Amino acid sequence: MTTNRGDVEGLLRVLAPQVLTALVRRNGQFHLCEDATQEALLAAAQQWPSGGLPDNPRGWLITVASRRLTDQVRSEQSRRAREEQAAVATPPSELLGPPADAEHAERDDSLALLFGCCHPDLSSPSQIALTLRAVGGLSTAQIAAAFGVPEATMAQRISRAKQTIAGAGFDFSLPSGAERTERLRAVLHVLYLVFNEGYTASEGDTLTVPALSQEAIRLTRWLHRLLPDDGEVAGLLALMLLTDARRPARTRPDGSLVPLAEQDRSRWDQAKIAEGVALVTRALPSGEVGPYQLQAAIAAVHDEATTMADTDWPQILGLYDLLELAAPNPFTALNRAVAVAMVRGPAAGLEIIAALEADKRMARHHRLIAARAYLRELAGDTAAAAADYLDAARRATSLPERRYLALQASRLAPSG
Amino acid sequence: MKYLMLIYGNQEKWASVPADQWPEAIARQDAFNRKYRETGELIGAYGLADEIQARLIRRENGLPAVTDGPYLETKEYIASFYLLDCESEERAHQIAADMPFADVDPVEIWPILHEAKPDL
Repeated sequence: MTTNRGDVEGLLRVLAPQVLTALVRRNGQFHLCEDATQEALLAAAQQWPSGGLPDNPRGWLITVASRRLTDQVRSEQSRRAREEQAAVATPPSELLGPPADAEHAERDDSLALLFGCCHPDLSSPSQIALTLRAVGGLSTAQIAAAFGVPEATMAQRISRAKQTIAGAGFDFSLPSGAERTERLRAVLHVLYLVFNEGYTASEGDTLTVPALSQEAIRLTRWLHRLLPDDGEVAGLLALMLLTDARRPARTRPDGSLVPLAEQDRSRWDQAKIAEGVALVTRALPSGEVGPYQLQAAIAAVHDEATTMADTDWPQILGLYDLLELAAPNPFTALNRAVAVAMVRGPAAGLEIIAALEADKRMARHHRLIAARAYLRELAGDTAAAAADYLDAARRATSLPERRYLALQASRLAPSG
Repeated sequence: MKYLMLIYGNQEKWASVPADQWPEAIARQDAFNRKYRETGELIGAYGLADEIQARLIRRENGLPAVTDGPYLETKEYIASFYLLDCESEERAHQIAADMPFADVDPVEIWPILHEAKPDL
């Protein structure tokens, strides 16, 4: 019996954090367990497609990973001094039956694993890499390919991250109170960054270069199942779905960007929009409203409009007002300025942008200059708008954005 | 985000460093390279040959036509380049400031806008 490679891959990704948490729970030594889990996943990826699935895939993986771990610890011991004590050697048979309170413990362990991977001592590239490997079950080669760095560089990043986690004393105790909120915020930020990385890059071959935004949605969905009552987790999942729904209309076949105003809305993914709207509708009234829920609500208003002109801008502006209170940030203020312009006219929006220019870094940022260009064009100041588009193009940080902004500049430039 | 880090120099400048100071200078540079390879932020570090070994290549009738040059008008030219991948521009600046000679000569940091896909 043979099994589809993609199905095996999907199953392994789901099982990866379960296997890792089972191993760490029994043996400690996060970094060794992580290596052993990866080796077991690799063995399964090689054997299962041709040999068929074992009866208990999870038990198979835990058994194989435990053996690898025992081998690793033994070779580590022979390398080190002999007096060091054996820490490992749980008989594989013991690992096959889940304990009575398995479901609850598993949920907490999975959360603790995710919190550990997003540890505040790690830089965000390291948090992302470790989360994708330990929780997402991606191989180092896949993560390296997704971020366009050599495998050796990514391996160093992951290895350093694991040392940091080990140094911080990884265990399965979950933080509580304010610390828990803070750590969950870091986790959501990591998932958000993974999504954005995938959203701005074009899709690759899913087996060699995984689709990062799909992976981010999968992991956030998983987190939402673990924490169904957390409004911000639901908000982030909704935001991802409502943003991803526009993907088919967002780029032309040549890879160039299509701005929201010009997108063919009939190509938006209505199933994703419906799911996102349902999530945010359920989350909003049920507790403290956080920035992801508000951003999702804004995305929902855009997604529900059949044309740019039909967009309910007063509602979007109201949501931006709330977002500015919940999470003040210059880019939120910039987006709000555009909403103000759509409701009260470009001059009112330009006034807000002028105030934001007091911050030197914002004044030079391509997004501020591009927004100013847009509003100046609406206000009829074509020459200033063209100059701004050109300046924004020079300061853009990605090639598609630069091309788009340069095109706007040439569209407005006086002909001849 | 990826950044190109460049340092410049010329023969005259390098010849002015006493021979007995080179081992220490090289060791400091090696230590820098090791440090940032281990954090997973340094993708590669490359030293260039002398300018007299650089060549200009054109294609003529489908074949490479090689001439001497470039004849540089600048007093200093690229001596080595480093490819970084790090969290932010601030972090890239921090790493550049950690270069062994950054207290003597400036280090250039260029954001990389685009990278050809390896799988295309």
